[in-house]
Amino acid sequence: MSQVEKFVCIGCPIGCPLQLTHEGQEIVEIEGASCNRGAKYARQEFTDPRRGMSTTVWIDGARWKRLPVKVSAPIPKDRVLEAAGEIHKLRVEAPVKRGDVLLRDFLGEPGVEVIACRTMARE
Amino acid sequence: MLGRIEGRYDVVVVGGGPAGLGAALGARDSGAERILVVDREPETGGILLQCIHSGFGLHHFKEELTGPEYAERFLERVVDHDIDVISGSYVSSVGIDSDGDKHVRILREGRGISTVESKSVVLAMGCRERTRGAVRIPGTRPSGVLTAGLAQKLVNMMGMLPGKRIAILGSGDIGLIMARRLTLEGCEVVGVFELMPYSNGLTRNVVQCLEDFGIPLHLSTTVAQIHGRDRLEKITVAPVGPGFVPDLSRAWEVECDTLLLSIGLVPENELSQSLGVELDVITRGPRVSSSMETSLPGIFACGNVLHVHDLVDFVTEEALKAGRFAGEYAQGIRRPKDNITLVPGNNVRYCVPHTLAPGREHTIYMRAKEPMKPCLIKVGDLMQRKLGFVVPAEMIMFKIKPDVLDRFHGDTLRIDILPYEKEGGR
Repeated sequence: MSQVEKFVCIGCPIGCPLQLTHEGQEIVEIEGASCNRGAKYARQEFTDPRRGMSTTVWIDGARWKRLPVKVSAPIPKDRVLEAAGEIHKLRVEAPVKRGDVLLRDFLGEPGVEVIACRTMARE
Repeated sequence: MLGRIEGRYDVVVVGGGPAGLGAALGARDSGAERILVVDREPETGGILLQCIHSGFGLHHFKEELTGPEYAERFLERVVDHDIDVISGSYVSSVGIDSDGDKHVRILREGRGISTVESKSVVLAMGCRERTRGAVRIPGTRPSGVLTAGLAQKLVNMMGMLPGKRIAILGSGDIGLIMARRLTLEGCEVVGVFELMPYSNGLTRNVVQCLEDFGIPLHLSTTVAQIHGRDRLEKITVAPVGPGFVPDLSRAWEVECDTLLLSIGLVPENELSQSLGVELDVITRGPRVSSSMETSLPGIFACGNVLHVHDLVDFVTEEALKAGRFAGEYAQGIRRPKDNITLVPGNNVRYCVPHTLAPGREHTIYMRAKEPMKPCLIKVGDLMQRKLGFVVPAEMIMFKIKPDVLDRFHGDTLRIDILPYEKEGGR
C-alpha cells in the first residue's frame, strides 16, 4: 500500500508543492519539484528532518540580560522544543566570547555543541 | 570608544548598523583617511543584534550566521581599519556651507553637543516599524499591542516576554520569526493573520516558523477590532473582500493578551528631509544617482534608509559602494552627472538607483508589485532576463554591464516585468 506525504520546498521563494510517495520506509516517487533541490529536500524531510536552532540564555554582569546562542549543527526536528527547554536552564556569567562552547554533545548528539553567538563584556 | 571628537573628517556616517559600518569600510577602501561613524544606540550593530536567528551572511561571508555573529565579525573589520566609532550619540542636524563642507551637529550622551566638519556624509539611519496608527485598527487602546521588532528586542536582549497568548498581524519575516521565537520561549502563538492572499515572508520562514509548530496562517484576513480595557483581551478577525474591506458577517473572535504587528517598515528620513534631500514617494527614501548620491552633492545614502531590504548581505554590498563614492567625493573626485533616468514600468514597484551613467557597471535593486511566474525583466530594448518567478517579498537584483548603456541615446529608460510563456514548459 503506497502512501503520500506532502511538503513545501524551502529551497527558494517559489515554494514548490512536493508529493513524496512511499511504501513503508521506501521512497517510490517524488513529484512537484521544478529543480533537483526539491527532491533532495523531500528525501531529507521524509527520512531525517532536522532544523538549526538559536535562542537566548540568561547572562549576569553584562550590558544586556540575554545572550544569543545556537546549536552548532542541525538537530532532529521533533526535538527542537525539548532542546529549547534544555538550553533555557543555562545561566552564564559575563564575560563571554563569541564561539564559547556552553554545552557539548548536546541532546546526546555527538559533536553538537551549544555556542555563544556574540561577545559580551563584563560591565 | 572615543573621548573628544572634533575637527575635520573626510566622511561622516550617520548610523552604526550594517549599512553604516559597510559605508565606513567602503570609504576607507577608496582611500579616505578620517572616517567617523555616529550611532545613537549604546553599541553598534543595529537591528542585527536582536536578530538572533540564522540566515545572514550567505552571500557576503559565504556561511550562514546569526545576526549578532554577522554584526560582530563586521565590527571587528571596522575596528581593524582604524575607523572612529561613537555610540550613544545622535546627529541632530547637518548644515552645508557655501564651500560645500558639511557641519554635522552631534548630541552625545553625557557629553553635550559638538560639531564636526566633513567633506561628505553618508545617511545610513535605517528604517522603523509601522505601528497600529498606520493601519488604523478600530477598538480600544489596551497594553499588549506592539510591533514585532520591539517584541524581538524585549525577548532577545532585555529578557522580557510581551505576553502569554500571542496573535500576529502581518506575515512579514519579522512576524514569522517572532512566532517561532515566542513558541520556543513557551508562549502560545494562536495565529498569524495576513491581509494579502499570499505571505509577505519567505517560504522558508512560513514552513520553519509556522508549519513546524502547527501555527495557523490565515491569508486574506485582518484584525477588525481590538478589545480590552487595560490589557488586551481578545481581537475580532475577519476575512477581507474586494478592496480589502473586512467582511464582518464572517468574523470571529480570538482570545489573546498580546498582538504583534508585522505590517511593514518605513525608512527613517527625518534628518534627510531637514536637509532638503529629495525623496522617492514609493520607497520613502532619498532619490539617488548611480553613485548613491542624493539630490544634494556630497550627501550619500544606503541601506534601509534608502529602501527596505530583505537581506543584510545586499545592504552590505550597497553600503560598501555608497562608502566608496563618498570617500572619492571627499578626495575631490567628481564624476560626470548621470544622464539616464530609470522609470518603473509594468509590475515594477520601484527601482534603485534612480539614474544611471554609461561606461560603468550598475547594480539595480527593484521590487515587483505582484507575484508573477515565469516572467521576463526588460530594460528598455537594451537587455532582458528570464526569471522563474517574482514575488513582492523578495527583492530582485541584477547587473547592467558597462557596454550595454553605450548603445542607448535616450534620457529615460523603462524597466518592465512581463509575463512570459515557457515553450513546452510544465
